[in-house]
Amino acid sequence: MNPISAVGAWVLGAVEEFGQYTVFTARALWGIVRPPYRLRNLFRQMEFVGNQSLSIVLITGAFTGMVFAVQTDFAFGRFGARGLIGSTVVLALTRELGPVLTSLMVNGRVGSAMAAEIGTMRVTEQIDALESMAVDPVQYLASPRIGASILMLPILCAAFDLVGALGVSYVATQVLGVNPGPYYARMEWFVDPDDIWGGMLKSSVFGFIIASVGCYRGFTASGGAEGVGRATTRAVVASGVAVLVVDYFITVILAPMSVNRA
Amino acid sequence: MSEGCIRLVNLQKRFGAQEVLRGVNLDVPIGKITVVIGRSGTGKSVLLKILMGLMRADEGQILIGGANITRFGDRELLKVRNRFGMVFQHSALFDSMSVFENVAFPLREHERLRERELAARVNAALASVGLVEHGHKDVHQLSGGMRKRAAVARALVRKPEFLLYDEPTTGLDPIMTAHVDELIRSTQDSTPGLTSLVISHDMAATLRIADKVAMLHEGAVIFEGTAEDLQNTDHAAVRQFVEGRLDGPIHL
Ligand SMILES: Nc1ncnc2c1ncn2[C@@H]1O[C@H](COP(=O)(O)OP(=O)(O)OP(=O)(O)O)[C@@H](O)[C@H]1O
Ligand SMILES: [Mg+2]
Repeated sequence: MNPISAVGAWVLGAVEEFGQYTVFTARALWGIVRPPYRLRNLFRQMEFVGNQSLSIVLITGAFTGMVFAVQTDFAFGRFGARGLIGSTVVLALTRELGPVLTSLMVNGRVGSAMAAEIGTMRVTEQIDALESMAVDPVQYLASPRIGASILMLPILCAAFDLVGALGVSYVATQVLGVNPGPYYARMEWFVDPDDIWGGMLKSSVFGFIIASVGCYRGFTASGGAEGVGRATTRAVVASGVAVLVVDYFITVILAPMSVNRA
Repeated sequence: MSEGCIRLVNLQKRFGAQEVLRGVNLDVPIGKITVVIGRSGTGKSVLLKILMGLMRADEGQILIGGANITRFGDRELLKVRNRFGMVFQHSALFDSMSVFENVAFPLREHERLRERELAARVNAALASVGLVEHGHKDVHQLSGGMRKRAAVARALVRKPEFLLYDEPTTGLDPIMTAHVDELIRSTQDSTPGLTSLVISHDMAATLRIADKVAMLHEGAVIFEGTAEDLQNTDHAAVRQFVEGRLDGPIHL
């Protein structure tokens, strides 16, 4: 095959794949809003996505806040702006680091588990069995996972923001010796609830991406244990990249709104 | 046109270059047990999956009560499947649930039952396959044969109109094989209007339970008839298969 037709074939393949993913995702979202409602499945997934990810999110959040305090101090100390450490880092945390790092951590844990679990069900014909019992497997398996991720990611993100802010404040005021009075005053001045809401909204979109890609990869897995492994890897990589790409575009779209208020 | 049949008309299915079904024509009589025999890899499981709408045929029709279900959309297919129960060749039990929950699953999904009534139905189904005291176990704690029986219980529990069994007794010990054969027969006899389609390699069982036998070979049905016809046929390939001989028209 010559290089041009190889590229052409790759592009066509990618477009077709994206089309199938879109159809799958639309079916899963429709499955969330239409009956039957399987609340038990939804709660179980919320527990899985939320509760079981909480500890890694808290640890990552605290240390991210702490290390950024040190790094920002290194930069701001040079022109005597150490009082701004808190507000700068907390802005970065709520607007950017919280949603993105939370999502990447959850992707490694939850996205991969979804792809592996559903992929195993696919290759062992459990999905065929669901269908043979007149149950829509996309609604049964994908809808609660996607719904739970959309709901739980913002909560995890808020937890990340909170411990991250505590981490910065501790390091800034207790370790680096920044004067607490101006530190907290500036933080209040600079950080707006909209920053937090915006970050949580982003993380909700990322949760949707992680779960829908993980479920899609699971549903399309084929070829035994090896195929499940391949599906899992592809899900994690694709979601990770998609989160960062989509993050840029959401940020660009949301940015003008927050500039207006200043 | 006979109304008393599920009719498979010229079903064709290929995977890439491999032609698996090359035009299968078969009438599955309503209210009877039809056994499909054929060598490993001839497409028996594929045929069942197409019949359930789990796979789409490339060509051909499946007529149930005159309606061609190969043309059905997802929603209509869902309704048709409500009338079917299927035992998968590799059981396909849900490994995230206990045996009891597996059998309860189709009831919970489709019938509003009190917990006590549900338990009674599930336990009755488990009892019919000798698994009542194993209901609490996880699927991975079962032997292969127990999984198969649990799969039979799950397919039976809603009392469907059409029961499809993909090698329900392969891998069971001789006594359990006889028991499951007997279960297929007695379920059939106690359920007016039930239609069973069984895929089997077991010639003795085939002769024991079948009202009708069909043999699938190289993508087509090469024999149809009663169990008696099967024993008396002079079709060389069918004889070779039935008698399990190495010499004959079928080569490895
Ligand atoms: N999803 C699939 N993709 C590609 N090829 C397939 C697929 N499913 C089945 N086949 C092929 O179709 C052929 C028939 O398979 P099938 O499982 O129907 O055989 P079978 O008659 O049920 O055999 P056995 O008695 O061993 O169960 C095989 O050659 C198999 O490799
Ligand atoms: Mg088979």
